[in-house]
Amino acid sequence: MSLYITRRINLFIFTVAALYFLVFLMVNSLPGDLATNLSGIQNPTVAQSETIVAQYQLDKNWFNQYISFIKQRMNGNFGVSFNNGLPILDEMLTLLPATIELCIYAIFIALLFGLPLGILAAIYYKKTADFFLLSTSLVGYSIPVFWLGVIAIMYFGLDLQWLPVAGRLNLLYQVEAVTGFTFIDIYLSDIQYKQLAYNDAFAHLIMPTLTLALIPATIVIRITRTTMLEELNANYIKASEARGVHPLIIIFNHALPNALQPVFSQISLQLSTLLTSAMVTEVVFSWPGIGQWLIQATYQQDYPTITAGILVCAGFVILITLISDMLLIATSPQQRGVINGSK
Amino acid sequence: MLSTLGVTLENINRNQCITMKNRLNFVLPSYILIGLIMLAGCTPNVEKNTHTPGIVYCSEGDPTSFNPQLTTNGPTTDASSYQIYNRLVEYDPTSGTIVPALSHRWFINDDGTKYTFYLRKKVEFHHNDIFSPTRYFNADDVIFSINRIIDSAHPYHNISGGNYPFFENVGFTDSINKIVKVNDHMIIIHLTQKDASFIASLASNFMVIQSKEYADQLLKTQDMSSIDNLPIGTGPFVLDSYFKNNHIRYKANPQYWNGTPRIEQLVFNITPKSTNRIAKLMTGDCDVSALPQSSEIETIRRNKKLELQIQTGFNVSYLGFNTEKPPFDNLKVRQAIAHAVNKKSIVKAVYYGSATIADGPLPPLSWAYNNTLSSYDYDIEKAKQLLKEAGHENGFNMSLWASTEQKIYNPNALKTAELIQSQLALIDISVDIKTFGSTVFSEKIKDYQYDSILTGWTADNADPDNLFRPLFSCAALLSGGNHVNWCNQEFDENLNRGMESNKQQKRRPYYQKAQKSLHQLVPIIPIAHALRFQAKNRNIGGMSLNPYGGISFTKAYRRSQKAKSTLAPSEELDSTKLEVK
Repeated sequence: MSLYITRRINLFIFTVAALYFLVFLMVNSLPGDLATNLSGIQNPTVAQSETIVAQYQLDKNWFNQYISFIKQRMNGNFGVSFNNGLPILDEMLTLLPATIELCIYAIFIALLFGLPLGILAAIYYKKTADFFLLSTSLVGYSIPVFWLGVIAIMYFGLDLQWLPVAGRLNLLYQVEAVTGFTFIDIYLSDIQYKQLAYNDAFAHLIMPTLTLALIPATIVIRITRTTMLEELNANYIKASEARGVHPLIIIFNHALPNALQPVFSQISLQLSTLLTSAMVTEVVFSWPGIGQWLIQATYQQDYPTITAGILVCAGFVILITLISDMLLIATSPQQRGVINGSK
Repeated sequence: MLSTLGVTLENINRNQCITMKNRLNFVLPSYILIGLIMLAGCTPNVEKNTHTPGIVYCSEGDPTSFNPQLTTNGPTTDASSYQIYNRLVEYDPTSGTIVPALSHRWFINDDGTKYTFYLRKKVEFHHNDIFSPTRYFNADDVIFSINRIIDSAHPYHNISGGNYPFFENVGFTDSINKIVKVNDHMIIIHLTQKDASFIASLASNFMVIQSKEYADQLLKTQDMSSIDNLPIGTGPFVLDSYFKNNHIRYKANPQYWNGTPRIEQLVFNITPKSTNRIAKLMTGDCDVSALPQSSEIETIRRNKKLELQIQTGFNVSYLGFNTEKPPFDNLKVRQAIAHAVNKKSIVKAVYYGSATIADGPLPPLSWAYNNTLSSYDYDIEKAKQLLKEAGHENGFNMSLWASTEQKIYNPNALKTAELIQSQLALIDISVDIKTFGSTVFSEKIKDYQYDSILTGWTADNADPDNLFRPLFSCAALLSGGNHVNWCNQEFDENLNRGMESNKQQKRRPYYQKAQKSLHQLVPIIPIAHALRFQAKNRNIGGMSLNPYGGISFTKAYRRSQKAKSTLAPSEELDSTKLEVK
C-alpha cells in the first residue's frame, strides 16, 4: 500500500514536471519578448525588468530558467494579465469557485439521475425500458454541449421566459464574493431579501447545470448498467436469490456497492471532459468562471493568462486522478495487489 | 450434476427475476415522481426582482472613467453624466429647451458676450467613505470645473490624459475670456465673442460640475486621478462599486437637491454583445437595455413584456462628393446622382426600416429645420437627362469610400455603398467601392483622394451650428472636417450671421438659408436619420430618450405589480414613440 502510494506520487511529480516542461517550451516559442510573456508586464521599467530577469533567471541557461519557472508558478506567481495588469492568481481565485460550483452541481445531478437509471436499465436488461434508456443516453451523449445550451436558452429563456440565461445572480442583489460560492455568499451577506436571492441564484443555476450534467449523466447510466449487469449475473447474487433474499436487498446491499467502484473511477477519468464542457457551458451562459475567462484570454492573446490556465486546469485533472486512484486502492481490497503506480 | 444444478439455478433465477421485477415496478414510477417534484421546485419565478427596489441597465461597454469631460465615448457618458453629476443648465428632451439645473436663473447681456449665472443654494455633494463635504455647492466648484478644461496650467488639466475632445471641437477654450466670481452663488462668464451655441455647450452631456473641495483633498494626498475614477458629484446617484467588464453599482443619493430618486439602487450590467443584452432583457436580468440592433427590433416589438422607445436621432448619414474634383465640380452631375439614389431602398435594406429618410442634413427635430425644401425624388429619367446636359451621357467611373465600422448614423456603410453602386449602374456610372477600417479611414480621407464618400454626423448638442460649421464651412477645410471639399462664401456668411443672436426666431432664417444652399448646390446627398432605440421592460417608468445620447435614471421607477395589471398595454405608449415612416 505505502509502496503503491510512493510510486503513485512519484509518477504524479514526473507528470507535473513534464506538463511544466511542455508549457515552458510553449512560452519560449510564443511570439514577443520572453520576459514579457513570462511575467505579463508590458513595457517594464528598468527595475521591473531586473526583477523579472532575477526571478526567472533569464541570464542563465534554459535548465535554470525551467526550474525557476516552476518555482515561480509553484509559489503562486503567475504573472499579471496583459489585459488589465492584475495578478493572474487573484483573478483565478475569484473565478475558480464559480467553475467548481458548476461542476459539483453537474456531477451531483449526473449521479442523481444516472445511477438509478443505470440500475433500472440493468434490471430490465433487454426489455423496453433498457432499450429506451440506452438509446436516449446515446442521443444525450451525442448532443454537443454548445448546441444544447443555445437551444435551452432559445426555448426556456427567450421563448417561454422561464429561466434567466446569463450570469449567476441578478445584480440587484448586492452579494459580496467571500467564498465565491453563490449560496454560501448569500448566506453570509446581510442583504434584505435573502429568500428571493436564493431563488434567483437557483433559477440561474438550473440551465447551465442541466446542460453540463447531460453528458456525465449518460456516461454514468451506461457504466452503471454494464457493471450492474456483471454483478447481477455473478454467482454470489444467484446464490442469494436461491436463498430467497429480498430482491431490493440483493440489489442495494449486495450488487450496488460492488458495481459502484468502477463507476466512480470512471467518473474521475471523465473529469477532463467535464472541465472542457464546463468551459463551453460557461461561454454559452455567460457564467463568470475560469472557462469564459480563458476563452476571452485566447481571443485577446493574453499569453500569461493562457499558460496559467493550462497549468492550473491540467494540474487539477492530474491531482484529482491521483486522489481518486488512491481512494480506490484504499477502499477496494482486490486492487491492493497493484503496486506499480502506472498499473 | 453440476449442469443439473446450473439449470435449476437458472430456472430459479428466471422466476426470481420475474418476481423481482414485479416488486420493482414501483421503482420507475417513483423516480418519475421524484423528477416531477424536483421540476416543481424549479418552477420559474418570473417576476423575481419585484421586491428589490432597483433597476438593472444592460450597458454596452466599460466606461473609460467616470468623468464625461474627458471623452465623447458613449458608455462613459451613460455611466456618469446624468447619474453622478449635474450641469449648470440642462437640455430637456421633451420640450427641446434649456432648463435650469445647478443654476436656477441666468441672464445673457445684449451683445451676447456676458453670461450671468445664479447658482442654486444648499446643493450637497455626495458623501462616501473617502469624502464628506463640509460645505454646499458654490461658485468655486463651477469655476474649478470650467478652468480644469480651459486652463492648461490648471493642476487638474493633465490628469487622466488631459484631452477634452468635445470642448476642443466646439472651441470652448477660445470662446471663454474669463470667469468672474461675484459671490458664492453668482458667477459671470465673459466670452471673447458672441457665441450663440455657448449655452448649448454648457447643457451638453460633457460639461459636468465636479467638487473643488474633493479636488483639494486629493491634491493634498497626491491621489489626483481619483477625481475621475472615484467620482463625487451632485447627481441623483452615488457610485458604490465598479467591477471592470462586469458591473457598476450606484446607490440613490438621499440628499439629492431635486428629490431623492425613486429607486434605491441602480446597476449597470456590462454586456458588450447586443444579443446577450436582449436575452437578459427578455429573461428579466435587465430592465433597460442599450442600443438594440436594427435586426432585433422586431423581436422586441413582438414581446408583450417589453417596450421599445423610439426617437428620431440627431444624426444624419450622407453621400458626400469631392466637389473640387471633376466631374463632381459640375452641379448637374451631382444633381443627377441625387435623383438616381433610391434612399427608400437603403433605409429598408441597411436600417431595416429603423431610420427616417433624410431630406436635408438637419433632422426635422431641430428648431432650425427648413420644411419648405422639396427633396430630390428618385427619377432615373431625370438623372439621365441631367447627365446628358452635363456632357456625360455615356457615364463615367467614380470611387466611393466607406468605413467598415458600425456607426450610430449608419449601421453598415459597406452595404449602403453596394446599394448605391447598383443604383448608379442604372445611369451608367460605374462605382468602385473602397473600404478601410475606421482609423485608416479617418487618416486617409484627409488627402481628398476620393470622388465620393459615405460618412455622417451625430449631434453633441442641440445647436444647428454644431452640424453646419464643422462639416461644411470654409474654416472646416483646414480642420479636416469638411469632407466634401466645399467652400461657399454665402453659406459661411449665413452661418456667421446665425451665431450673432441668442434668439431662435432671429437665427432661424439664416440656418434655413444655409440649408437651402446645401439643397441647391448638392455637395452632399443626405440619406437617412437613424432612429435611436431603447428597449425596456414595461414596468419601468420615468425613462426618456435623449436625442443627444446619455441615459438618465433620475426619474426612473418600477411600477408596482398592482398598478401594472390595471394598466392596459396601449396606455403605456410613450410620447416619444414614433411610427417608422
